[in-house]
Amino acid sequence: MRVLGASHRRELGMRSYPLLVYALAPLTALVLQAWLPRLMRGYVWFDLPLLITVYFALARRDPIQGTMMGASMGLFQDALTHHAIGVNGIAKTVAGFLAGSVGVRIDVDNYIIRMMVTFLLSLLSGVIYVVIYRVLLGLDQEWRGLEELMKAVGTSLAAMVFYPLLDRTQIKD
Amino acid sequence: MESFFTRYRNLLVLLAVLLAQIIGLAVQVRRTDSGRNTLDPLDPTGVRLIRLWADAVVTPPEQIFHAAKLGAVSLWKNYLDLRSVREQNQDLQKTIDRLRLEQASLLEDARQGERLQALLDFQQRYIYKTLAAQAIGTSGTDSSRVFYLDKGKAEGLDRDMAVITPDGIVGKVREVFPHSAQVLAINDPTSGAGVILETTRIRGILRGDAAGRPQIVGILADQRIQPGEKVLTAGGDLVFPRGLPVGEVVRVMPDPDRDSFIDVMVKPAAHLDRLDEVLVITSTEPRFSAEQQQDMAASEALKGPEVAAIKEQQKASQIMAEHLPGLSDPNAPAPAPASTPASGKALPGQDKATPPEPPAPKLLHPLRPDRFTPGAKPQPSQSEESSPPAHPGRNPKP
Repeated sequence: MRVLGASHRRELGMRSYPLLVYALAPLTALVLQAWLPRLMRGYVWFDLPLLITVYFALARRDPIQGTMMGASMGLFQDALTHHAIGVNGIAKTVAGFLAGSVGVRIDVDNYIIRMMVTFLLSLLSGVIYVVIYRVLLGLDQEWRGLEELMKAVGTSLAAMVFYPLLDRTQIKD
Repeated sequence: MESFFTRYRNLLVLLAVLLAQIIGLAVQVRRTDSGRNTLDPLDPTGVRLIRLWADAVVTPPEQIFHAAKLGAVSLWKNYLDLRSVREQNQDLQKTIDRLRLEQASLLEDARQGERLQALLDFQQRYIYKTLAAQAIGTSGTDSSRVFYLDKGKAEGLDRDMAVITPDGIVGKVREVFPHSAQVLAINDPTSGAGVILETTRIRGILRGDAAGRPQIVGILADQRIQPGEKVLTAGGDLVFPRGLPVGEVVRVMPDPDRDSFIDVMVKPAAHLDRLDEVLVITSTEPRFSAEQQQDMAASEALKGPEVAAIKEQQKASQIMAEHLPGLSDPNAPAPAPASTPASGKALPGQDKATPPEPPAPKLLHPLRPDRFTPGAKPQPSQSEESSPPAHPGRNPKP
């Protein structure tokens, strides 16, 4: 029986997408993240940039790509706020790296698993955000557990809609 | 060594990216002299390049989304309107006949409304210069209560301009981009607006809490503050003009950090979570038309003779007061008659410029004089009889 190495297995399961998808999906996520709260009376119960980060990190099964994607999405998200630039960047960098690392070991075609990974990484991202603000920067930032939980649930539910749509755009051999 | 980098390539990339961002954070956050970390830039006039890039990337699609949403809503409404247009046409014809009769009576009301509208327009033009703008996006996170406007530097916006609605204040412009602007809402924890309670006249600073609820902080406990009291801008923060509505007091609760201080929760007058159109106060200087400026100049010119007339009147009053008779002090030493020349000539050593003393008024003698009567001798008493007066020189002379 032929035994495949880890890197070979990763290459076999690695998905690829058109270049346009790599450009448009993050941009759409950033724009919707900034625009949709206006229609929802200011409530932000989802994190679409994190969703995109996790999706591509899982699909590509590459921690470096997940790291880069998370860093760029987080930095852009920070730039739209009036807070320090890099807090979201670090949180999503870690999330992207972990998603890319986990993607090697799990079945990325399973929706339930991907939703659970998204849920956990959303919570982790919220924790990292507050820890950086309070510990690293020494600034006032209140931890709001319920809101973070709601955001993680909302992001997971949004993943149910967006992941199948993005799956359709992948290039099949 | 090569195998180390190959083996831990992922981890090294992660660490490098994290390190770069941490260094970036360290550059942004500064520590003040009081040991408190802050994000305030040293140069408040500049905009960070990354914010400019993010705005340039996100704002145009947001504007397209906003325009598309308005177009879709308009299209849908038009479709719904067209569905029953025939039935409505017949009904409308009947309505038109009825409305023609009402038109005559409404015409007078319309004229009155036009006059009131003109008055209102004048008032609005007179007080402040404002610019209407539309809210097109948010920060995307609930920890940063900022939103974006579709007007920017090209339209005349600048930092620290007040953003209001007809209902009340909304926030202030924080960053200005070429064709958009970032507004910090009053319910953000980092915002601050000087406010005053309408009836109790207690001043405080309005800012948001972590959940985005505005509250007035830094107020000493006062029993007079009750829910329902109106909150207005105090005008001391150099952003919001004085007297604009802010909201009303909802709840008063003790400050958890400081004894004898309270936090006053405020319900904002403006709908901060449903902002569409806002007004940006671009100038707090009263604007005057050319005719008004001419009137003001003429008024200033008229003030000169008026002031001179008032001074002349005051001088005449002073002269009259000097010459009018008044009560003289009976205890004062009487002037020596010999030293007062009847001819008005001054004695040697006396200032020639000193005007002569006015003649003392003649006092009528009371029917029953008592000890308080000017010029009357004090009533003798036992103690006074036994002891000589302490100040004989101050006794009134007969």
